[in-house]
Amino acid sequence: MSRLPTGGLIDRAKPLNFTFDGNVYRGFDGDTLASALIANDVKLIGRSFKYHRPRGVMTAGSEEPNALVTLGVGARAEPNTRATTVSLFEGLEAVSQNRWPSLALDVLAINQLASPIFVAGFYYKTFMWPAKFWEKLYEPLIRRAAGLGRASMLPDPDHYDRNHAFCELLIIGGGPAGLIAALLAGRAGLRVIIADEDRLLGGRLLSERHEIDGRPAAEWARMAAAELASMPNVTVLTRTTVFGVYDGREYGAVERVADHLPRATAGQPRQRLWKIVAKRALLASGAIERPLVFGGNDRPGVMTASAVSTYLNRFGVVAGRRAAVFTTSDSGWATAEDLIAAGVEVAAVVDSRTSRHAAAGRVQVAGAEVFLGAAIDDVRGRTARSVDVRMANGQSRRIAADLVAMAGGWNPSIGIGSNLGSRPVWSDTIHSFVLDSAPAGMTAIGAAAGRLSLSEALSSGATAAANVVADFGRSASPTAAPQCSDDPAAVTPLWHVATRKTKAFVDFQHDVTDDDITLAAREGFVSIEHLKRYTTLGMATDQGKTSQLNGHALLAEATGKTIAEAGTILSRPPYLPVAIGVFAGHHREAHFRPVRRTASHDWAVTQGASFVDAGQWKRAQWFARPGEQSWLETVNREVTTTRNGVGICDVSTLGKIDVHGADAAVLLDRLYVNMFSTLPIGKARYGLMLREDGLVMDDGTTTRFEEHRFFVTTTTANAGKIMQHIDYARQVLWPDLDVQATSVTEQWATYAVAGPLSRTLLQKMLPDLDLSNEGFPFMAVAEFRWNGMPARIFRLSFSGELAFEVSVPANLGDAFIRAAFDVGHDFDLVPYGTEALGVMRIEKGHPAGNELNGQTTAGDLGMARMLSKKKDFIGRVMAQRAGLVAADRPSLIGIKPIDRDARLRAGGHLLACDAASVAANDEGYVTSVAFSPTLGHSIGLALLKRGAARHGERIRVHDPVRGADIDIEVCDPVFVDPEGVRVRG
Amino acid sequence: MAKGLEISECQRFGLATVMLRKNANHAAVGAALQVAAPADPTWVASNELTMIGTGPGMWLALTETPSQHWSATLAERLAGVASVSDQSGGYVIFRIAGSSARTLLQRGAFIDLTPPAFGAGSVATTVIAHIGVIIWQIDDVPTFHVALFRSFAGSFREWLDTASVNLTF
Repeated sequence: MSRLPTGGLIDRAKPLNFTFDGNVYRGFDGDTLASALIANDVKLIGRSFKYHRPRGVMTAGSEEPNALVTLGVGARAEPNTRATTVSLFEGLEAVSQNRWPSLALDVLAINQLASPIFVAGFYYKTFMWPAKFWEKLYEPLIRRAAGLGRASMLPDPDHYDRNHAFCELLIIGGGPAGLIAALLAGRAGLRVIIADEDRLLGGRLLSERHEIDGRPAAEWARMAAAELASMPNVTVLTRTTVFGVYDGREYGAVERVADHLPRATAGQPRQRLWKIVAKRALLASGAIERPLVFGGNDRPGVMTASAVSTYLNRFGVVAGRRAAVFTTSDSGWATAEDLIAAGVEVAAVVDSRTSRHAAAGRVQVAGAEVFLGAAIDDVRGRTARSVDVRMANGQSRRIAADLVAMAGGWNPSIGIGSNLGSRPVWSDTIHSFVLDSAPAGMTAIGAAAGRLSLSEALSSGATAAANVVADFGRSASPTAAPQCSDDPAAVTPLWHVATRKTKAFVDFQHDVTDDDITLAAREGFVSIEHLKRYTTLGMATDQGKTSQLNGHALLAEATGKTIAEAGTILSRPPYLPVAIGVFAGHHREAHFRPVRRTASHDWAVTQGASFVDAGQWKRAQWFARPGEQSWLETVNREVTTTRNGVGICDVSTLGKIDVHGADAAVLLDRLYVNMFSTLPIGKARYGLMLREDGLVMDDGTTTRFEEHRFFVTTTTANAGKIMQHIDYARQVLWPDLDVQATSVTEQWATYAVAGPLSRTLLQKMLPDLDLSNEGFPFMAVAEFRWNGMPARIFRLSFSGELAFEVSVPANLGDAFIRAAFDVGHDFDLVPYGTEALGVMRIEKGHPAGNELNGQTTAGDLGMARMLSKKKDFIGRVMAQRAGLVAADRPSLIGIKPIDRDARLRAGGHLLACDAASVAANDEGYVTSVAFSPTLGHSIGLALLKRGAARHGERIRVHDPVRGADIDIEVCDPVFVDPEGVRVRG
Repeated sequence: MAKGLEISECQRFGLATVMLRKNANHAAVGAALQVAAPADPTWVASNELTMIGTGPGMWLALTETPSQHWSATLAERLAGVASVSDQSGGYVIFRIAGSSARTLLQRGAFIDLTPPAFGAGSVATTVIAHIGVIIWQIDDVPTFHVALFRSFAGSFREWLDTASVNLTF
C-alpha cells in the first residue's frame, strides 16, 4: 500500500470498493480513481496511442494525457475518461484501453521496434501508393491498430438537463485567485457565479502546504467556500467545467450532476449544460505544470512534481518509495520538501539551474543529494527503477528511484481565452504564453495571468474583483488580499535534454517525440500550425495541455527562432471533451424537435390514421380500415368515396394570415401577381406570389371579409416564410402603408369537405346557412357562428369536386370533426388524408410544393395570364428576364404511361424515345405522380421543354436509379373534369 | 413534481392580437379600452382586460371573462385605432407558480428572468424547448403565465414534465 498513515482530504471512515481491469481494490471517499490506483500500487494504467508503451498516471488534473480508462460498462461505458478527475464511488468499474490481449502484455508494443517508420507524417509517407488501397486496406488497418478507447455503439441511456444563467461576474476556477475574487465581489453584492471542475473549491490550496491568514490553506479555502455558499447572490458550481466562450459574453459550461454517484436516482440527469451570460468574467483557471523532455519521461513512475505533491497532500498517497526530483523551477523544491515531510525518501534533487535554492540545505539534511546545473538524461526500467543524472561536470551518475518528479515550469491555463481569436503572447517573465487581449469582458487573474506565486495570485484576484465591483458602481469592503506564506515561483526553462539516449516524449497521448518535431522542421513544416497537423502534436483528446509549449519551443530551437517568434496556436471550444448528449438535452428521439398537432389529431388517432411529418406538423396521411391490404388500397378508397360521395380532410396546417388596415388591398396587390383590390367583399380569390427574382414563391387563396380586412392563406410549408415576407414588405419596403398583419394559423381549425354530397352534408349540419349554388356560388365566403363562436365557410376546392372549407376556432376543432361525423354517418362520410389529397390535386393538375420548387415561373406552371399588367408587384421586372420567358422553358404537363399498367415514378427524366440517355438530351423531369383510381392507371405531372405545345406527343421517362424506362404520352395536366363542371355544381 | 411548483392550464379566456393602425398611438388604444396599452414589454390590467406588450405597437389583449362576441366587440371599440385578430382558440396558456417556478422557466428560457431584469409586470417573447412562448409574470409568488400556440401544447407539456423532474436535482 502506498497510502500514508495520515493526512489528505479523504474520509478514511468511508472505504469504497472499485475494480480496475476486473481486480478489486479499495479506496476512500474523496479519492479520485487515479489516487486510489496509486494507493493500491497500480502503476500501469494504459498503453500509448502509437507505440503502445506502458503508461501510468502523470498528473493530478484534467490535463492528464496518459491515465485514460473506460469508465462503466455496457451502454454507460465512457471511453478516454481521465482517471485523475474521476471521483471514486462504491462499485466503480474501470478498464484499461488500447491494449491487446492484456495491459501487461501488449502485442502491438512491437510498434516500438519499428519506430523509425512511425515518425512524424508516417501515414502520408507510408500509405501513399497505390491510392486505391487507402480505403479498403490501409485505413481499416490503421483504425484498428490506432485510436484510444472504443465507443459502446449503444444509445446513451442517460438523460441531460440544461440551465441558463445571467450574472454580473463569472469566475472560472475556484483556486486562490478565484476564491478571493468571489468573496470580494459576493460581499459587494454582485451577482456572481463561480465554477470549478473539481468537487471542492480551493484549487492548489488543497494540494500544497501553505498558510493564509495564519490558517492552513485548505482550511482557508473551506471557510471561503462556506461563506460563498451562504451568499444568496453567489452561485457555486462545483464539478463544472467552463468549456468555451462565445460571442455576446456567453459561456458554455457542463455540470457533472451524477457522474460521481454509484447509481443516479430515477429521473436524475447525468449532466447539465449551462449557458451563462456574464457581463464580466475572471479567468482564474490556474496553470498547468510542464513536463520535462528527457529520455523515458513517459515511464510509469514519472510524474509532474505538482502531481506528486497533490497525491501526497490531498490524497495521502505516494507513488513510490524513493524519489528523484528533476526541476527547473522553485516549485520542484517544494515538492521535494513535501516528500521529505511525508517521510518519503528523496534520493536526489536535480536542478538544471546553477544557483542554489534556499531549500537545498534542508533537503540535504534529510539525506537527498543535490545536483545543480544538472539534468536527468534517461529513466531506466519499464516502470521507473533508476535515473541517469548528467552532472554539471558532464559525468553521469545512475541513481535508484522509482518515483521521478519533473518540474518544468508552468503554463497559464488560458485555453478558452483564445476561443474568440486573440492569439496569446510570450512572457519572458514566466517563460510561457499569456493572454494579450482577452474576449470582451474577460480578465485573467492568478496563475492564469502568470501570477504564479500564491501572494501574487491572491493580490491579482483581489485587485481584479475590486475593479469589477467599482465598474458596477458598488463599493467593495476594504479587505486587502490575505497574508500568505512565502511561495517562490521562479523558473529557468530547460526545453529539452539533448544528451538523452532513449525516447523523449513531448506529446504523451499522441506519442510525439522530440525527434518527430526536429524531423518535421527538417522537412519544412516550420509553422506552428503545420507542425501541429504534420506531427499531430496537441491533437489528442487532451488537446496538448501538457505538450503544446514544449513542442513549440523545440520547433523554435530547430528553426533558429525565439519561441515568441515561432508563436503558439489558438484553442477552440470545448476546453475538455463534452458528451454530445449534454448538448442535445431534452431534444432527442421523440423529443428531437417539437411536434405540432392539429385540433383533430386525437380524433384521427381513434380513426386509425397514419401520420406524416409536414415540417413540425403531424398530418393524417391516410385512415386505414380493417382488412385493407396496403396504403394504396386505403388511399384509392378515400379518393373514390370522396369523388362519389363526400370526404373530409383536415387542412388546418395551411398558413393563415390576417392582413388588415386601410392599405391592406394595396399591399396585397404588390405582393401578388394578380389583383386583390378588385376582390369583392365576401369572395375569395386564388393568388400567386413571386420572389424578388421573378420565380414563383407561393400560392393560396385570399378572402376579403370587409373593405380593410383580408385573410390570406399560404401553403403549409411556406407559412412561416410568407409571414416573414409580409412583415418585411410592410415594415421595410413600404412602412408608409397602413397595414397590420398577424399569423392566425393556429386560431382556425379548417376542414375541407369535398364531394358531390358535401353540400347536403353541410346544409344538414348548418341549417341556418344558404349553401345553394345561387346563394353561395364558387369562391363565395361567409362568416357565421358555430356553437355560438365565430366560424367561417369558404366555397373552395382543391380536389376538383364540389367542396367547402369550414373554419372554427381551434379549441372547437375536435368538437367540429366529431359533429361532422355524427351527421356524416348517413352519407358514408370518409376522412381522407394528405395522400388522397395529393392524388386528387394531381388528377386536377393543381401545382403544389413539387412544382412550386423555386425553379419555376408563373409561365412554366401555365399561369402567365395571371400576371397583371395594370400594376407593379414583387418579382414583375425580374420575371421578364430573357431566361425566364424563353420559348423552350419547361412547362407543366400531364403524363400517362402508354402501357397503362406501368407505374410512373417522380424524379425520372424526360427524353425523346430514341434519344441516348445522356444529360445533353434531357428535356425535363417528372415532379409528381399518383395512381389515379378515377382513371385506373398511373398519372403524373412533369415539367417538359415547350411542354404546353406538345400534348399528344410520345416520349419516355428515363429512371436510371429505380428501373427501366417507360414510354409515356404527354397530355393536359388536368386529368379529371377539365371543364370544371363539378366545382361549380 | 418539484416542491414549490404548481402548473395548470387556463381553461377559459379570450385572447386577441391588437396591432396599432398607422397614425394612431398608444394613448388612443388606452382611451378606447379604458386600460393603458404599455409601450414596452410589460402588461397592464384593468376592467377585466389585460394588455400584454409583445412588440412595437403590438399587444395581446386577454380577458378571463370572455363573452361570445368578445373579439368582435374589441374590434369595434378599436375601430380606426388598431386592428384586432381573434386568437382565443389559437393559444394555450399555462399558469406556472411557486417558489420553483422561476428556476423551472429559466431552465428553458435563455433570457434573464431574475429581478430586476424581470419581475411582476414584465413580459417576454422568447423560446422554450424550440417553441415560441410569451411569458408574463403576474405576481411575486412568483406566478408566471406562458402562452404558446395550441398545436405545441403536447410538446410543451412533455418539456415541462422532464424539466420539473430535473428541477429536483
